Amino acid sequence: MSEENWIEVGSTDSIEEEDLIRFDHQDKTFCVYKLTDGFYATDGICTHEAVHLEDGLVMDDEIECPMHQGIFNIKSGEALSPPACEDLKTYPVKVDNNKIFIKID
Amino acid sequence: MKNNIIILGGGQAGVYAAREIRQNDSKSNIKILGEENLLPYERPPLSKDFLLDKKKEEDLCFHSSDVLKNENIEFENISITKVDFENKKLFTKNDDVYIYDSLLISTGSENKKLTLDNNLKNDIYYLRNLEEAKKIKELVSNKNKITIIGGGFIGLEIASSLSQLQKKVIVIEIGNQLMGRIIPKQIADLVQNTHIEHGNEIILTKQIEKITKKNGDYEILLNDNSLIETDFIIAGIGSTPTVKLFENTNLKLDNGIVTNQFCETSIKDVYAAGDVSNFYHPLYERNMRLESYQHAQNHGICAGKNIAGVKTEYISIPWMWSDQFNLNLQLTGICNDYDEIIERGNDINNGVIYFFLKNKIIRGACGLGIAGKIGRDIRITSKLSEKNTIVDKQILSDQNQKLNKLIQK
Ligand SMILES: Cc1cc2nc3c(=O)[nH]c(=O)nc-3n(C[C@H](O)[C@H](O)[C@H](O)COP(=O)(O)OP(=O)(O)OC[C@H]3O[C@@H](n4cnc5c(N)ncnc54)[C@H](O)[C@@H]3O)c2cc1C
Ligand code: FES
Repeated sequence: MSEENWIEVGSTDSIEEEDLIRFDHQDKTFCVYKLTDGFYATDGICTHEAVHLEDGLVMDDEIECPMHQGIFNIKSGEALSPPACEDLKTYPVKVDNNKIFIKID
Repeated sequence: MKNNIIILGGGQAGVYAAREIRQNDSKSNIKILGEENLLPYERPPLSKDFLLDKKKEEDLCFHSSDVLKNENIEFENISITKVDFENKKLFTKNDDVYIYDSLLISTGSENKKLTLDNNLKNDIYYLRNLEEAKKIKELVSNKNKITIIGGGFIGLEIASSLSQLQKKVIVIEIGNQLMGRIIPKQIADLVQNTHIEHGNEIILTKQIEKITKKNGDYEILLNDNSLIETDFIIAGIGSTPTVKLFENTNLKLDNGIVTNQFCETSIKDVYAAGDVSNFYHPLYERNMRLESYQHAQNHGICAGKNIAGVKTEYISIPWMWSDQFNLNLQLTGICNDYDEIIERGNDINNGVIYFFLKNKIIRGACGLGIAGKIGRDIRITSKLSEKNTIVDKQILSDQNQKLNKLIQK
């Protein structure tokens, strides 16, 4: 894949640890997380109903949907608890010069 | 040892119990007996996305038949009409017998019915299961003015869905606010305003005196002598645990099947979980009965562990939601035992939450917001109440301060 697929999200200190920010790019929306071992990114919208995960709670490696408490693994996107049953898409993340980039396909 | 484990009631609590038993016990026979002709399915969409046609019948089941088959869990579509706890037997109306070593009762709850003195029983619709949801969906398609009797969660969710289907909806509630006294009046009023903004009519503090049928439509006479004309009536006036089957047995009943914190009933080897159980909660040191999705799942899982011999206390913090229009309401903990209320936020765009404290400790919270606005804070409240944390009221009331701080180690 070409370099252009890496999109800058913001600086590494824009996210607190065990937290997330919302990132919108063109017509897509994402969540970018800072976990104890680094940065991760997933689709922004819950796979259960159309609600943004930006208001969800990050606990260890999991994001809990703010609407009905469906839970996803942030690193794999796996849906772990109903009513969420469809996995969440994840995206590669890299940090360069204190800046976070995500690779969007 | 190989046991016969029977789960009576094929709903959410039942299926989660079955799978949890299998996780801990690979040998026993596990059979779910359910009177609905469908594998265990989710009820929340019935009043919302199913009516709106955003979810189909095939989207509702928790698990496919393959998942259950792989785990060697049998589902049988049958109704049990008699129990003999002494001899550990269940009977159908044809006198087919099912013998168990351990029994889980997860028969759920059923809708209260209106008592009407005339013969309109079949003219009033209720919503509890898929069949009823299908019927309502089909019949309302050519109706215009629909009356919902009862301003509780299910009635209001139906009102929200039907309004989105461009129907004129009238909600009649006997109390002086929507959703009963457990919801703070301020939140009930915000929900009411949203219904009104969408064109629904909400009538409070009125009782139905009489319903009469006229040329296929209905006239509802209220106790202030006002008359409502309508072409379809749905009632959502609360529910009761499904326990008729056990009424003349030794099983201890009191607003449902009384269970301890291990989901055990008063009869050995008989457990109960979900809507039907009035369970002891160690944190609140009292019994309670809940009708919620998350409870049905967690309580079922807990019962499953105990049935499989993994002694486990049920200590989940109560939590439920209701979605109406673009609003999401959530309740956690207990909201009727407090000496102080703290308010966070005042508009639904950013979310409004009322925290209920006793002796400075959060006991519960109720919040309302657009989409998921209040979810994180409500979830944090559950965690705080679980740990009996004394919290800084300043942080609770200030929406600019994140509550995450309060749970981080
Ligand atoms: C329309 C609707 C909307 C809801 N929305 C929400 C929501 O938004 N949020 C939320 O938190 N909760 C919601 N709930 C509540 C939630 O769905 C229930 O609390 C949950 O389904 C309870 O699970 P259960 O397994 O205890 O009972 P159920 O799911 O009711 O299952 C019990 C099953 O046992 C069967 N049964 C009973 N007696 C017998 C018998 N003698 N023989 C064989 N089978 C029998 C019944 O037919 C039923 O299939 C809603 C409920 C309804 C009805
Ligand atoms: S919208 Fe995320 S779990 Fe329902």
